[in-house]
Amino acid sequence: MKRHSFVKKYDFWGWFFIAPASLMIFILSFYPMIQAFILSLQTGLGNNLRFTGIWNYYRLFQDEIFLSSVANVFIYLIFQVPIMLFMALILASILNNEKLKFKGLFRTLVFLPCATALVSSAMIFKTFFSVDGIVNFILLHIGIITSPVSWLTHPFWAKVVIIMVITWRWTGYNTIFYLAGLQNIDTSIYEAARIDGASAFQQFFKITLPLLRPVILLTTIMSTNGTLQLFDEVKNITSGGPGNATITISQYIYNLSFVYNPQFGYAAAVSYTILIMVALLSFIQMKVGDKA
Amino acid sequence: MKRLSLAAAVLLVSSALLLAGCSKKNTAVAADPNGPITLTVWCWDPTFNVYAMNEAAKIYKASHPNVTVNVVETAWADLQQKLLTALSANQTSSLPDIVLMQDNAIQKNVTTYPKGFLPVNGKVDVSQFAQYKVDVATINGQSYGVPFDNGASGTFLRRDIVEQAGLQVSDFNDITWERFIELGKIVKQKTGVAMISAVGNENDIIALMMQSAGTWFFDAEGKVNIANNTVLKEAVKQYKAMVDAGIILLVTDWNAYIASLNNGSVASTINGCWIVGSISAEASQSGKWAVANTPKLNVPGGINYSSVGGSSWVVLANTKYPDVVMDLLNTTFAGSVPLYETILPSSGAISTWLPASKSATYGQPNAFFGGQKIYEDIVAYAGNVPQIKYGLFNYEARDAVSRALADIVGGTPVDTALATAQKNVEFLVAGQ
Repeated sequence: MKRHSFVKKYDFWGWFFIAPASLMIFILSFYPMIQAFILSLQTGLGNNLRFTGIWNYYRLFQDEIFLSSVANVFIYLIFQVPIMLFMALILASILNNEKLKFKGLFRTLVFLPCATALVSSAMIFKTFFSVDGIVNFILLHIGIITSPVSWLTHPFWAKVVIIMVITWRWTGYNTIFYLAGLQNIDTSIYEAARIDGASAFQQFFKITLPLLRPVILLTTIMSTNGTLQLFDEVKNITSGGPGNATITISQYIYNLSFVYNPQFGYAAAVSYTILIMVALLSFIQMKVGDKA
Repeated sequence: MKRLSLAAAVLLVSSALLLAGCSKKNTAVAADPNGPITLTVWCWDPTFNVYAMNEAAKIYKASHPNVTVNVVETAWADLQQKLLTALSANQTSSLPDIVLMQDNAIQKNVTTYPKGFLPVNGKVDVSQFAQYKVDVATINGQSYGVPFDNGASGTFLRRDIVEQAGLQVSDFNDITWERFIELGKIVKQKTGVAMISAVGNENDIIALMMQSAGTWFFDAEGKVNIANNTVLKEAVKQYKAMVDAGIILLVTDWNAYIASLNNGSVASTINGCWIVGSISAEASQSGKWAVANTPKLNVPGGINYSSVGGSSWVVLANTKYPDVVMDLLNTTFAGSVPLYETILPSSGAISTWLPASKSATYGQPNAFFGGQKIYEDIVAYAGNVPQIKYGLFNYEARDAVSRALADIVGGTPVDTALATAQKNVEFLVAGQ
């Protein structure tokens, strides 16, 4: 009898404490998601919407701009995420070295790009890579190129620049996660490995990587999610051009809502595809990453 | 289980309350026309349209001391976005009384949100404005805009560079684009300076060429007219010829474009006459500029006059003082010669209100342009601008053609690129 009332009381306070947070999550996250889904089943301009069922989703597959935005995002994903995470791992290993001096300084420097606003870093990179920018200036002086390259109006180089900007901005962020992970690995494991004659490379690939797997999984999912929603950098550096060479899904949603005649229903359908892709990719990564 | 459903019920009830709180209607207060009235206006350029609206407010305040105008500087892209967001959400209380709107967006905004805007005809006399400006803002026979600035285009030339190449400013008057390219090659060869600059990802020049031949990306019935548009093909051909000849400097954005004019990297620019403000900002080049009319396309109906940009004042339906707003616009922008005489010399805002152009101020020689009477010339150009309908899907079409242009410059055949553009626009049109 006594035990029962304790459970009752415990449950009450449990509900009491999580209710405000749940309420906020419901109102600010789930309610808009439901509304967006309902919106994605409607078609029309501005507020003149009518229900058309899954027509918007059917249209997606015939939309060349949408398809090229998906292709671009996957190119960013396939090239940028592995490069960035690998660099972050290396940086984290170096920063974790006990013999390293000025650790605090280096850690700050590595994390600093993350503290800059996305738009301002994008604008700075844009000036660097403009026709009369510093990159062309230096390359001309060293003699690598003979005439200035128009980086941002070239379909291939524009993508390369975008990948560089995202990598610059987010490598330090992921380094911090790895650093935290590394500090949880017992140093005695490395000691034992050294006694057994393991080289630095062997230690990195046989000890560090496997033990960091949960953190690597987390950063992969976060980076995938971030890349699929990429907007600021592309909008500010190339605004999707030249042609459709750098446009992202988020920028297409923006165009559909604010640049063109607003097609909010179709834009909502496009945004739902991001949700589906993020969910699918995270699921695959979790399946692969959880294998022993 | 019971507790769970109780908690769920609490959640639902409280969220319903919260949502109800959000959708509280804001009720209009009965307006007293003689009490203190503050009108809010959104526009974007402090030296140009913000300045002009403030001057208009001064003039109106002299006769109506109770009316204050609060001009809020809002970049065009932000203005458009705020406007659409508020109108879509039916939360118009955050909107101003008047906005300045790009001419090429008026039709799209008013058609999409017919209840968001007030027609001005009958309240503001628009009959005295240049006809092409009035047409742009006429939707279903109702006039929704009070024209502000003139978008008439011209060839703005560096007199000194052109003369250094052994040419005269008059060589650029009444010419075709072919001739313009030939002259550009001479300038490039003699002085090493590019003839013209443009933003690589945009297609203002193509749009300007098309309007000069009285054509647009849509035909008279509003159907997409890109893939088989002979005028567009000719325009693209001339653009490609400029790129191939190396006489056009393609830059990445608007700031770089303005910089190319101000730092002497180009010998000319062909754009709407509002570019005079940006050109004149570089004081060291005073006396070195000149104006000629626009090159024409070698197609039937091609003439030496066109228009780029231009904007109009649009009244929002949520205004609490519709009569005051209309009266303000009617007595200033549609009725005050002194207003235009004030704003012309200091901001270069060239009127499309015809009575103003008869004012003596328009005949003044302009020192920056080597004493040329540029305002008189531009007003004369404006009288010849062909009328076109920009259409509901103007931005979609311009975007698609810009992309096609980038592909064409990159080597894609013209027909293929334009067919893709046509398909892209038709796809978006089908979503209405």
